[in-house]
Amino acid sequence: MPLDTSTYSLALLRLDGRRWNELRRIHAQISTQAAADGSSYLEMGNTKVICTVTGPAEGRRTAQGAGQECRVEVEISVAGFSGVERKRRGRADKRTQEMQHTLTTAFSSILFTHLYPHSTIILTLHVLSQDGSLLAACLNAATLALIDAGIPMSDYLCACTAGSTANEDTDEPLLDLNGLEEQELPFLTAGVLGDSDKVAVLMLETRVRVERVEGMLAVAVDGCKRVRGILDAVVRAHGRRMVEEGV
Amino acid sequence: MPFTILPPAPAIPFNHPHHYAASDNDSLSSADEMDIDTTTARPTKRARLSRSLVTPGETVTSDPQWMRGHGTYIPSDSTSIVSTVAGTVLKTNKLLSITPLRARYTPEIGDLVIGRIAEVQSRRWRVDISAPLLGALPLSAINLPGGILRKRTAVDELNMRAFFSEGDLLVAEVQSVFADGSASLHTRSLKYGKLRNGYFMAVSGLQFGYRARGGEVDVVLGVNGFIWIARHVEQAKDVAVTRLEESVSLSIYSSQNDEIGPQTRREIARVAGCIRALVEAGARVDEDMVVRAYEASLELDFETEGREDAGGEFLGGEKGKRIVEMALGSATS
Repeated sequence: MPLDTSTYSLALLRLDGRRWNELRRIHAQISTQAAADGSSYLEMGNTKVICTVTGPAEGRRTAQGAGQECRVEVEISVAGFSGVERKRRGRADKRTQEMQHTLTTAFSSILFTHLYPHSTIILTLHVLSQDGSLLAACLNAATLALIDAGIPMSDYLCACTAGSTANEDTDEPLLDLNGLEEQELPFLTAGVLGDSDKVAVLMLETRVRVERVEGMLAVAVDGCKRVRGILDAVVRAHGRRMVEEGV
Repeated sequence: MPFTILPPAPAIPFNHPHHYAASDNDSLSSADEMDIDTTTARPTKRARLSRSLVTPGETVTSDPQWMRGHGTYIPSDSTSIVSTVAGTVLKTNKLLSITPLRARYTPEIGDLVIGRIAEVQSRRWRVDISAPLLGALPLSAINLPGGILRKRTAVDELNMRAFFSEGDLLVAEVQSVFADGSASLHTRSLKYGKLRNGYFMAVSGLQFGYRARGGEVDVVLGVNGFIWIARHVEQAKDVAVTRLEESVSLSIYSSQNDEIGPQTRREIARVAGCIRALVEAGARVDEDMVVRAYEASLELDFETEGREDAGGEFLGGEKGKRIVEMALGSATS
C-alpha cells in the first residue's frame, strides 16, 4: 500500500516523511567477518555497505619503493543489483575510481600511517544497495572497519550529505538526501573529523548558487556530528561486549 | 525506488559521547594517590575488565602529569592526551597507553610465533607471521643438519629450499625487532623448527604463546594468533649442546607427513573444534582455557554418549556454547 504523502508538502515534510534536519535510520555493526582484520556493515536508510580491512600487511613492492608511511588502498565494488535498474559497474568506472581516490586521500591523512612503514592497508567496500549518500556511507563504514582493525587514527571520520531546495521562496537546506532527492537537488558530501569543525572531505558535484553553499555546509557538519554520536555508540556497545565476554 | 519492507532492527540507543568521557576523566584526575599497576606488561582480557573504555578522538586526560604511550597522541594545538584507538586505558606509573580491543600482532623479542614461509631470498627467508611486515629468518639463525657447530657453506645457501620452501610452516622465536617494526626470527633450538603432521588454524590476538604437550596431541599457541595442533612427537631427552648434532638430522626438515591414525586425527579435530568454539564465543584462548574446553568436551561426550542428541563430533552451535560455558564455569570455580 503506498503511503499517503499528499499532506507532506503542507507540513514541510520530505518525500520519505522526514523533516529538513532529520537523518535517516543508521544501523551499523562491527566485527562482522571473523577472518578479516577489521570489518563493518553500515546502513544509512536504504544505502547498505559492507567494508573489510586487510592489514597493515606487507603489500606489493612499488617501483618507486615503499616510503616511510604505509599506503592506503581502497577498492569499491558496486553490486549490479544495488541500484534501481540492474547495471554492471566495472572496475574502470570513473565514478567508482573517484570515490576510491577520495577515500584513499581522506584516510591517508587521518590514519597514523607513519607507525607502519613499508606496509599497506587495504580497504574493500561492497555496495549492496544504493539510495543516496553513497560516498558518505562508504566513509562511515570504512571508519568503523578501521576502528575494528585497531589502526590508530586521529579521530572518527564521519560523513553525510546536505542538499538545498531549489525554488526561490523556500531556501531551506536539507540533511541526508535519499536517492530521489539526490537526482532532483544540488547536494554536497561533507566528512568531518570527530566533534571538531575540521572538514576532511568535501565533495560538490552539482551546480548550486554560491550563497547557498554555506548553509548546506553548516547543516552537513552538524549532521556529521550526529553521525559520530551514533557510530560511537556502536563502537562502545561492541567494546563493552568484548570486555565483558572475555572473562 | 527500492523499497523493501523489513522488520527494523531495534534502534541503537543514542548515547552522548561526552557522558562517558566525563566520567572517565574524573576517574583519572582523581587518581592523585597514583595507583601503580602491579599487573604484567601485557594485560590479559581478565585484567581489562576493570579498565575504562575509550574510542578514537576521545580526550583521555588533560592533566599534564601523564606521559603518553601507545594508542594515544597529543594534538598540536593542545596539551591533553587523546586516544587513537578503541580500547581500554592502561596506566603504568605515569604512562598512559590504550590497549586496542583488537589489533594485528606486533612482534616483541622473545615471542613464540608460528609462521609460514612467504619468500625465499638469498641467505634468508621471509616469513608471514601476521604482523604488519614479514619477518626475516636468516640462514644463520636455523639449525643446520649435521650440528650447530657446522660452518654455513655456499652449498647451504644454494640448498635453502631443502630446509624451508614457500608455504612451509614453522615455529620460531622473535630474536630481535628492527626499527620499522619487522621481526628477525630464529629456530636455534630443538623446540623450534619445521612443522608437520598436524593442523593449522588462525585466531586473532592471543595474549601469550604456549606450547602444550600431552597425550596424543601437541598444541602450539603462537603469540601471533597462529595455532598448530599436531600429533605428539617424542621429544629427545635433553641433550648436551655439544651432542646436539647427533639429534639434528636431515629428517627435521622433511616435508613428508607420517601416517596418522584415525584416533589421533579425531583428537586433533576435537582440540581444533574446542578452540573454534572458544573463538566464536569471544572467550580468550590460552593454555588453561584450551585444556578446560577439551576436558569439557570429553565430559559432554561422556554424558550424552549413545543418546539421540549426542550431535556427533561437531563442536559448534549449541554444543560449542555448552563447552565454553562449562570451561568458563570451571575456570571461575
